[in-house]
Amino acid sequence: MAPHRGSSVEFAEYRNYVPGDDLRRLDWRVFGRTDRFYMKEFEADTNLRCYLVLDTSASMGFTGQHGSRLDYAKKIAASLAYLTIQQGDAAGLVCVGEKVNLDIPAKRNPAHLQLIYDTLEQVEAKGTTNLVQALHDLAEKVRRRALIIVLTDGFEDAESLLNCFQHLRFQKHDLVMFQLLDRMEMEFRFDRPVRFNDLESSFNLVTEPNSIRDEYLAQLHKHLARLKQGCHQFNADYRQVILDESYEKLLADFLSERANASASRG
Amino acid sequence: MTFLQPEILWALPLVLLPVIIHLINRLRHRPQPWAAMRFLVAATQSSTSQAKLRQWLILLFRVLAVLMLILFLGRPLAGGWLGWSVNSAPDAIVILLDRSVSMEGKLTGSTTTRREQALSSLMKAVEPFAGRSQIVVIDSALRRPQPLARASDLRELPATTATDTSSDFPGLFQAALTWLEENQTSTAELWVASDLQRTNWKPDDERWQPLQAQLTALQQRVRLRVLAISAESDQDTTVTLQDALRTDRDDRAELLLAVDIQRSNNQPTTLPVTVNLNGTPSQFEVAVEGGNLRWRQRVNLGAQRGSGWGYVEVPADANLHNNRAWFVYGPPAKLRTTVVTDDARVGRWLAAASSAAAPGTQREARVLSPADAAGQTFDGDVLILWQAALPAADVATKLDAFVQSGGALVFLPTGKADAGQFASQGWGAVEKAAENQSYTVARWEEKEGPLAKTEEGFSLPMNTAAITQRQMITGTAPALATFADNGALLTRQTLGRGQVYFLASLPLREWSTLGNGPVLVPVMQRLLQTGSRRLTQASLMQCGDLSAVDQALPWQPVEGGGTNPQIESGIYRAGERLAALNRASGEDSTEVATREEVNGALSGINLQWFEETGQNSDRMQGEVWRLFVTAMLLFLLVESFLVLPTKVTHTDNLTGKSVKRRPEEAAEVVS
Repeated sequence: MAPHRGSSVEFAEYRNYVPGDDLRRLDWRVFGRTDRFYMKEFEADTNLRCYLVLDTSASMGFTGQHGSRLDYAKKIAASLAYLTIQQGDAAGLVCVGEKVNLDIPAKRNPAHLQLIYDTLEQVEAKGTTNLVQALHDLAEKVRRRALIIVLTDGFEDAESLLNCFQHLRFQKHDLVMFQLLDRMEMEFRFDRPVRFNDLESSFNLVTEPNSIRDEYLAQLHKHLARLKQGCHQFNADYRQVILDESYEKLLADFLSERANASASRG
Repeated sequence: MTFLQPEILWALPLVLLPVIIHLINRLRHRPQPWAAMRFLVAATQSSTSQAKLRQWLILLFRVLAVLMLILFLGRPLAGGWLGWSVNSAPDAIVILLDRSVSMEGKLTGSTTTRREQALSSLMKAVEPFAGRSQIVVIDSALRRPQPLARASDLRELPATTATDTSSDFPGLFQAALTWLEENQTSTAELWVASDLQRTNWKPDDERWQPLQAQLTALQQRVRLRVLAISAESDQDTTVTLQDALRTDRDDRAELLLAVDIQRSNNQPTTLPVTVNLNGTPSQFEVAVEGGNLRWRQRVNLGAQRGSGWGYVEVPADANLHNNRAWFVYGPPAKLRTTVVTDDARVGRWLAAASSAAAPGTQREARVLSPADAAGQTFDGDVLILWQAALPAADVATKLDAFVQSGGALVFLPTGKADAGQFASQGWGAVEKAAENQSYTVARWEEKEGPLAKTEEGFSLPMNTAAITQRQMITGTAPALATFADNGALLTRQTLGRGQVYFLASLPLREWSTLGNGPVLVPVMQRLLQTGSRRLTQASLMQCGDLSAVDQALPWQPVEGGGTNPQIESGIYRAGERLAALNRASGEDSTEVATREEVNGALSGINLQWFEETGQNSDRMQGEVWRLFVTAMLLFLLVESFLVLPTKVTHTDNLTGKSVKRRPEEAAEVVS
């Protein structure tokens, strides 16, 4: 997602001529006025299409000490949309709840950014998730190579999710998964019996957390390990995010890692 | 259970505190919206049974820890015997007290005897029941039920004092059973206080089985509590009379004493032994090398021609009731031999050899045919030489009684096949040595018995005896003399107080050269001496072993301080008869019946064990306290172990191997 200098229609800056520069890009008008050689540079057109897939099922509404999971996901989605459009790429948004209720196509128009912001502001966490089907549909629908960024809690069946990822990778899409988890879910520390209410259904469970903590953590970590291992296998970028982490730092790390990866690719 | 601070027991419902806290905790659950429900459900399903068991165990150990704390604070009373016995008061308590000699052993470092210790414990235990339960004491010596009104009376009762008897526990339980049957109480407890001496309990006695059946068949509920006085005693030395033989020769009367000295200490020492003869003491220094010694001593009776008494005594030690062995002796008696044979030559030889008398002694022999012998009672005999078919029926019974009373009975071969048996011995084949050859005697017992060396230390010329004909002896009796081919020449078996001998050859020329004076005469004289015990044994008795006839006699104490010959040792006189009453045999045994043996003998009966290990009951109390504190700590330790989080198994992404980590560690690895 780093900007590249290249030959596009959008002017970027002037710089001094150095021997060996392409004389076709020399600005003759400036030479006529100032009698100096300046090279004219334009923003590169990378033709990147970025699709932000936001899980909006009720489980994304989980709210821990550091706020709601969905809010955190919205901040990441908004930031990434801004950066994408800002550098001239196209950004789209797919909000997935029980069904795909919002699908904003990828455009690079700055006015398009406002639409994405408005949509993110309105979307709420409710219903069950249909992320798996939505991702399969997206893989089929987006013909051109695109960057797919999935923001989810990832509590669906790991194998189904990995199937989608495989599908997306098969379609040559670049895939990044942000799995958003709360520290409460990761540590499961409760000092007395708790009635756990399922966010996506009316099911509830009264239990002594201490007695099942070990087994819960074992199950959770097994799931996470499988997702991580599957993403690694399909060459997808897996990123586990704990909600008490700073999202600015998260994005900075993410962008710098991608820039480094691009540079190393060449 | 009895407590010094029983009011603490009101706090017993507090044992439910952990349960209540647990229930309140469960009711206090708070709602929590949750997204990762699928892991929660899976965890609940897979760990439910194990977690529930763990929870229950944690709860149980918490309850037990609180229980132990309360019991500890209640200061449970020591003397397990006292402390644990107090349930609901039974209708009747029957105390079975062991009054045997071994109960008179003093406890280590104390002047208290085991019996006194048992009485002390019993008094404390009985006290709360006085007035609430009917209490009866049955002692092992008299076995007569004695009612007990107050606990303090226990020590004062004549039925609880020291005796010189042995205990017969099957008989004692039988007495208790009889009392229970006669007094139909709804609940009864038998309290037994004993040192568990094996010879007293007789775990293999066949009377136990019917006793078990009768006790369990009783309509009333019977509980049994055994107080085992297992405390150690100090070092003890016992003295037991084995023989007191009077010999008269050349107007010189002597008493040959044989005494067994048994010590609990094996260190060599010199023991001052006192022999008191008719009130005149003489002291001897006896060197004792090991634990046991048979000490023989000749005591000159001097001009004493009639009967007399005496005792052999070792210094006072841990048990004062086994330091003295009493004896009596009678006037010189005529020692009569009866030879039973059809062979006149044999009769002549044997009668001559057995009636050969030294000056000052009286010997007499008579020869009877087997037919005549059948009508005899052998009352005046000390030795019977039987060279005829082995006796059967009435004659065998008479001979058996003769031996049991101390007589010596010698069987000689007839040379004919004989299928009969006496004392599990009999006659086998007749064997003759080849011409000009003989069976030689290879080994014979020279230390004691009829073939022993002479007083001067000379051996009998058994090795020169030529035996040309022999009749083999069957049976397993030990041999006193054996041939070179290991066949027995002379066997001996003890029956009651007397002995039965089998001699494989005859003192006739066609059988052997045993008829020569140097062998036959000394052997006969020694057999006569052995049989002469029959005349004195009747006066050497054991406490608790008097026949009904003897018990009915008007016994007057002569020496020893006792008044009842049935239970107290000493010298007693009834008319002209002088008797020495010694402590019961078997009381010197240190063998103890194990709990398993006693449990086996009394199986099917509700039995509880208690143990007195020392005279200081406070020490026992401390141990009970420690028990509860230890139990509480143990329960808390187990509880804390159970609440520890268990390790979780994860698959390492890189190696694919299973790795055990704490859940926190596992979380770090995944993130």
